[in-house]
Amino acid sequence: MAAVVAGRQGEDKGTATKTVRGVIGSEKADFFADPDVVKALAAKGFTVKAEASGSWAMDGLDLKGYDFTFPSSKAPADQLAAKYHVQEPLPRPFYSPLVVLAHHNAVDVLAANGLATLDGKSRGTLKMGAYLDAARHNRTWQQLKGASGHGELTGTLYIASTDPETSNSGALYLAAASYVANGGKVAAGKADIDRTAPLLHQLVSVQGAQQSSTDAVFRDFISGAGNPPVLVYESQVASLLAEQQPSSDTDDLVVLYPDTTVNSDHTVVPLDANGRALGELLSTDPTLRKLAVRHGFRPQGDAGEFVAATKDRTAYLNQKLTGVRQAPVPTSAVLHEMARRARG
Amino acid sequence: MTRRTASALALLATTAALLTACTSEKDQDDSTAPKPGTLRILASSELSDMTAVFDRVRKDTGVTIRPTYMGTLDAVDLLAKGKADGAYDALWLSSDDYLRLRPDAAKKVLSETPVMSSPVAIGVKQATVQALGWKPKEVTWSQIEQAVQDGKLTYGMTDPARSNSGFSTLVSVASALSGAQSALTDADVAKATPRLKKFFKGQKLTSGSSGWLASAYKRRGNVDALLNYESVLKGIPGLTVIRPKDGVVTADYPLSSLTASDARTREDVRKVTEDLRTTTVQQLITDTTHRRPVVASVAPASGLDTSRRRELPFPGSRSVADGLLDSYENELRRPSRTVYVLDTSGSMKGDRLAALKKSLTDLTGDFHEREEVTLMAFGSDVKSVRRHVVDPKDPKTGLDAIRRDTEALDADGNTAIYTSLEKAYDHLGAGRDTFTSIVLMTDGENTAGAKAGDFDDFYRRLTGTRRDTPVFPIVFGDSDRSELAHIADLTGGRLFDAQKGSLDGAFEEIRGYQ
Repeated sequence: MAAVVAGRQGEDKGTATKTVRGVIGSEKADFFADPDVVKALAAKGFTVKAEASGSWAMDGLDLKGYDFTFPSSKAPADQLAAKYHVQEPLPRPFYSPLVVLAHHNAVDVLAANGLATLDGKSRGTLKMGAYLDAARHNRTWQQLKGASGHGELTGTLYIASTDPETSNSGALYLAAASYVANGGKVAAGKADIDRTAPLLHQLVSVQGAQQSSTDAVFRDFISGAGNPPVLVYESQVASLLAEQQPSSDTDDLVVLYPDTTVNSDHTVVPLDANGRALGELLSTDPTLRKLAVRHGFRPQGDAGEFVAATKDRTAYLNQKLTGVRQAPVPTSAVLHEMARRARG
Repeated sequence: MTRRTASALALLATTAALLTACTSEKDQDDSTAPKPGTLRILASSELSDMTAVFDRVRKDTGVTIRPTYMGTLDAVDLLAKGKADGAYDALWLSSDDYLRLRPDAAKKVLSETPVMSSPVAIGVKQATVQALGWKPKEVTWSQIEQAVQDGKLTYGMTDPARSNSGFSTLVSVASALSGAQSALTDADVAKATPRLKKFFKGQKLTSGSSGWLASAYKRRGNVDALLNYESVLKGIPGLTVIRPKDGVVTADYPLSSLTASDARTREDVRKVTEDLRTTTVQQLITDTTHRRPVVASVAPASGLDTSRRRELPFPGSRSVADGLLDSYENELRRPSRTVYVLDTSGSMKGDRLAALKKSLTDLTGDFHEREEVTLMAFGSDVKSVRRHVVDPKDPKTGLDAIRRDTEALDADGNTAIYTSLEKAYDHLGAGRDTFTSIVLMTDGENTAGAKAGDFDDFYRRLTGTRRDTPVFPIVFGDSDRSELAHIADLTGGRLFDAQKGSLDGAFEEIRGYQ
C-alpha cells in the first residue's frame, strides 16, 4: 500500500499526470470512483474522468476529446473499434457473467416449479429451457404453485432486463435466450432471427418501459423497487456483498446463475495512445487487478485472483461457474436486428 | 403539447429579459444563462423538497444546483424538439420511463443515474382507515375501488398531464384495475375504461402540483385521501400511507446528463451524481424527504415500510401512454367547469386586450371533451356571460364559439372585480359532478361595484360546493397583487403571475388546477 499512497495526486510531484477521458458502461462507475482506484491510477500517472453510457448507445455519441470508451462487451467494442479504426486486439481487462438476482420468495416458487435449482440457501441455477418455456406460454406467478402466499408474486413471470437496443446486459440476455431457443446454436442469419423473434419479443414486451442501464436495474432492486427477478452482472452482486455486512437485506438475496449465460467482456476501445496505455494498465497492473476483483469483476487470464478474493462469499457466488455454459454471442449485426425486433 | 411548451419557453425568456433589464446583481439569478459551477437542471417539481440536499451537494462539490421545475411531458417535449440543448445542463425527472418512449428525446440523454426512489401510494385519513376497517398492509387497489364505489372514499390527485406524480398514479391505477398481467396495451386500457370511469368519480381534488394538492386537501377537510408518491404523502400530517398490495409504480429519480452539454458540464454532473450516491447524502435524502435510498448500506428512514410490492410495468409504447392520458382527460376524469372572469375595462385597450385574446384563443387547443367554459367579461359591471360546452360528439362547435366570443371582447369602462366575482359564483349555482373553479384576470384595482369587504361577507355566506370553488387570480398589468392574493387565500385558490411570466403561461399553468 505504501507505493499507492506515495503516488497520490499532489504528493508525487515527479510524475506528470495525464488526464484521460472515457465513456464507460454504468456498472464500472463505482470502480472508477473508488478512491483506491483513483490512487492506483495516479501512482501510474493517470487521472481518469469517466462518464457512464449504455454500451450500444456509445456508437451514437460524439467522442471528440475522449481517449477511450469502455463498453461492457466485445460486440459493441468491435463496432466502435471499426468505426474509429482502432487496431485490434483490444484490451479486455476483466469480465463478468450475467446472473439473475431475486429474493427467497420468488426463488422458492421457481424451484418448486422446476424453473430453478438451489445449491444452497443463497445460490442456485436458473433452468433457461424451462424458464423460456414458461415465458413462451405467458405463465403468470399465480399459475405457479406456491406463489399464492406472496402478494408481490403476481402478474406475468419475467426477468427484468435493460433495453437491448442501448444497453449491453439486455442485448446479452437476448444472446443467451436465442442460443437456447435455437437448439444450442448461435443465431447466425435471417432464418435464426425469424425463428427466435417471437420468443424474444415476448421476453421484452411484457416488461413495458425498460431501464437503459444495468446500474439502474440493480439500484431499483436495492431500493426495493422494480420487478425481481432482475438480470444484472455478477460483478454488481459480488461488490454489493463485499461492501455489505451480513444483514436482513443480504440475507434475502439469492443469486441464480442461468445454466446458459453470456459473459460480459469489459473491453477498452482506445481512441488514442493514452487510452491504449490505460487499457494495458488495467489489464496488467496487479493493484488494479486486485481492485477490479474488489468491485466484483473477474480479471482475464487468472481465475485464482477472483476465487481467492471472494472466498467469504461462496454462499452466493458460483466461483468456478460450475454447471454454467457460456453461449457465444451473435455478430453485432445479428444482435442489433434481434434487439430491434424484440422491442418493436 | 407544442403550444404549452412554447408558452413555458416564453415564460422563461420573459423572466430572463426582465432580470437583465433590472440590476446587474439580479443577472446571477438568471436561470437561462450558463455559468461555471452551476448546473441548470430541468427538474420535476417534486424535487423542490430537496433544498437541504442541494445545499449539502454544494458544500461537498462546489457545484450549485439550479432547478427549473417542469412537468414530465413538457420536459420530454422540450428535449425532443432540441430546445433543451444549451439551455439546460442536466435533466432530473421523477422517472425517465416516459422519456424512453420518445426516441427523439431519449437520444438527448447521455447517462441516467437513479438517485433515490419513491412508490406511488395512497394516503388515507386515519378516521377513514378505521371506518373502512382496513389493515394498511393488506389493502389492494380493488378494495380502494370498492370503497370509492360505495361512496366511502373520496380522494385528490395531481394532473397527470402536468405532474409526474399524477401520471405515475394514473398508470398504477390503470394497470391494477385493468387486470393486465404485464405491461399495459391499448386493449387493456379500452377494457378497463368502465371501471376506471367509476374509480375517477371519487376524485374530488385535482392540482397542477403536489404542494397545492396538500394545502387544498387540508383546507377542504372533506376529502378522505390523496394519491401521490409515498414521499409526498409522508410529509402530510394525519395520513396513513398505504402502498397497495397488488402493485405500484415507483419513481427512481435518475439524474441524467445530456449529450448536448460540454465535457466540463458533464464533469460537474458526474461529481454531483457521485456525491448524491455517498452514504452521507443518501442518509440525508431519506431522512429529509422520505424517499428510499439506492445504496444498500443506507436503510430507508424509519416509517418507510420495507415489505415487498409488485412493481407494475410502465407502458412500453408511446401510443399506450398517450392514449391513457388522452382518455383520462376526455373520458375518465370528472369534467371541469370554469368561469373565466375577464377584465375588459378601458385600461385593457390595445396590447393587453390583444394578449388576452391570444391567450384564450391558444387555450382552446387544450380544452377537453365534456368541459364547460363560461366567458364572463366585465368592466363597470358584468358585460356578457357566454357559456360553452365541448361536446364529445362535436367538439369543434363549442371551441369555435369560444374563439368567436373571445374575438368579440371589447375594452371599456371601470373595474368591478368583486361584483363580477359574486356573479360568477351565482352563475355556477349549486354543484354538479365537476371540478369547478373561477379564473380571474384583471389588469387593475377594483374601482366599481362591491368592495373587498362585501365580497368577504358574500363568500363566507356560501355553502356546499360553492364554498369549495376556488378563485385563481392572475396578476397582470397594474393589478394589485395583495388584493388578488387575498381573494386566492379566501377562496382556497392560488395566485398566478403574468407580470413576471406571460399571460398565456399563467392561463396554461392554471389548467393543471381545473
